[in-house]
Amino acid sequence: MNTSSSSLPGAVHTQKPYLEVRPDSSASKLPMTEKISVRNVNFFYGDYKALKDISLPIYDKKVTALIGPSGCGKSTLLRIFNRMYDLYPKQRAEGEIVFEGKNLLDPKQDLNLLRARIGMVFQKPTPFPMSIYDNIAFGIRLYEKVPKSELDDRVETALKRGALWDEVKDKLGQSGLGLSGGQQQRLCIARSIAVRPEVLLLDEPTSALDPIATAKVEELIYQLKSDYTICIVTHNMQQAARVADFTAFMYLGELIEFGETSQVFTKPTQTRTEDYITGRFG
Amino acid sequence: MAGSSGISLSTLRQHNFWDAVMRHATRTAALTVLLVLGGVIYTLVVGSLPALNQLGLGFFSSQRWNPVEENLGGLTAIYGTLITALIALVIAVPISLGIAIFITELCPRWLRRPIGIAIELLAGIPSIIYGIWGLFVFAPVFRDWFQIPVNNAVDGIPILSTVFGGQINGYGILTAGIILSIMILPYITSITRDVFETVPAVLKESAYGLGSTTWEVVRKVVLPYSGAGVIGGIMLGLGRALGETMAVTFVVGNSHRLTGSLFSPGTTISASIANEFAEAENVMHESALTLLGLTLFVITFIVLAAARLMLLRLEQRKGN
Repeated sequence: MNTSSSSLPGAVHTQKPYLEVRPDSSASKLPMTEKISVRNVNFFYGDYKALKDISLPIYDKKVTALIGPSGCGKSTLLRIFNRMYDLYPKQRAEGEIVFEGKNLLDPKQDLNLLRARIGMVFQKPTPFPMSIYDNIAFGIRLYEKVPKSELDDRVETALKRGALWDEVKDKLGQSGLGLSGGQQQRLCIARSIAVRPEVLLLDEPTSALDPIATAKVEELIYQLKSDYTICIVTHNMQQAARVADFTAFMYLGELIEFGETSQVFTKPTQTRTEDYITGRFG
Repeated sequence: MAGSSGISLSTLRQHNFWDAVMRHATRTAALTVLLVLGGVIYTLVVGSLPALNQLGLGFFSSQRWNPVEENLGGLTAIYGTLITALIALVIAVPISLGIAIFITELCPRWLRRPIGIAIELLAGIPSIIYGIWGLFVFAPVFRDWFQIPVNNAVDGIPILSTVFGGQINGYGILTAGIILSIMILPYITSITRDVFETVPAVLKESAYGLGSTTWEVVRKVVLPYSGAGVIGGIMLGLGRALGETMAVTFVVGNSHRLTGSLFSPGTTISASIANEFAEAENVMHESALTLLGLTLFVITFIVLAAARLMLLRLEQRKGN
């Protein structure tokens, strides 16, 4: 692996990645705040260092895509944001991730609360073994005691936001497992939204879906960014170009480049980024 | 095997021959099971016909057990079998589920193996050891530390003084139930642990990702997902508790007297057969014991059938 990476043009450069959004860009004209600030984060699986000194902003109500070849650490980074790695022993993170003024890596951070505010959708659809209605109501019932009528409204709203309502409104009592793969994935997105999180983490949400279902989920992501901060991991560079406002390119546990999607895809500053997006490796 | 130019006829014939051998051998093996099962049922039915003819259905409602006068009733043994198995389940199921949940969801890795091995060892202890231990170690302690204090405490209270009254000597229905619960615990635990481990990690992560606590994940995702397997494990434990012979024979007291007391000695179907069959007074006695065996067979069959039915209903409810 060493030889292949060092043979890449530009691989010898070790300068800090380009982190700032260029002042002349159109996106920066809008007032932007950092929803999550990643500062010098390292991550370990046992002794293996999977993330090396990552620093990165996740902007409020924007879509940020994490791209890079398999094993580059993009899913690992995503799973730090809601501390999912805490479920497993021997995984640990160092550094600082500031979310609403606090370091969410702090051991005193309440994980259940954090995960209610930072929702996550996985690679494969994960409907719970219960009815469609109960799937959505699951998260709401965890934290709020709402009367039946309000719960009905919340479920309907979430399913509408998840662009699934028209397809399931007549069969809310049926099992979520009976839906198609694409519908299941939108059910999972709707389930995350129902808890009213502020951030949505999407871990390759369309990799198990067919092109039509993928298009629907992408359309949904586009609609959701008016209300949510979204961070998406994807293997599909066209998808990143289509849905993301910002793109971070990662390689071998390092953040190589971060910038506006249009800039990263058309005028990458790093040769490794260029090599990857033009298909020369990865 | 075949030449590079093509497959020769003789090779083909050889293949067909072995294929036929294999087909017949496996079919014979499968049919043997049916044959054995049929043989067992036949023997039980034929053996119990004399008792059934002479005693009729009154056998199942009579608690008299007088082999010399050929006045025999199976109610005490049937009741004892059902109640000891029920006690065993009531004790073992919550503990087993607790252990399984702890091992799969909460246990630190270094503790996982020791607990797993301990459970497997528990399952490997021969039942006669449980019997000896129950009679010589557990029963005296149980009498002094549980039966006597509880008996004193409920003295004079209408129903409880009957349930926790009677002859207090350490062995009896409740003791048998407790020993049985220890014996079936490893079975239920290891099956439920295995089915809990089949719950996809990503499904649990989704539930955690919504902000669930471990308890909520277990109750709302892990248990519903693995419900069928859990019931299967419980039924297997129940089947074992119903049929267990040696350990129960040691501690149940072997008394053919039906009482409402959990502390009093009683008997079970298998304990009666083990105790009396070899020294049966007459043909009628032997036949009555065989009829009890047939009854146990039917009870076990009903338990298994009920388990199947529940699993089927569960699957349908999930909409699969």
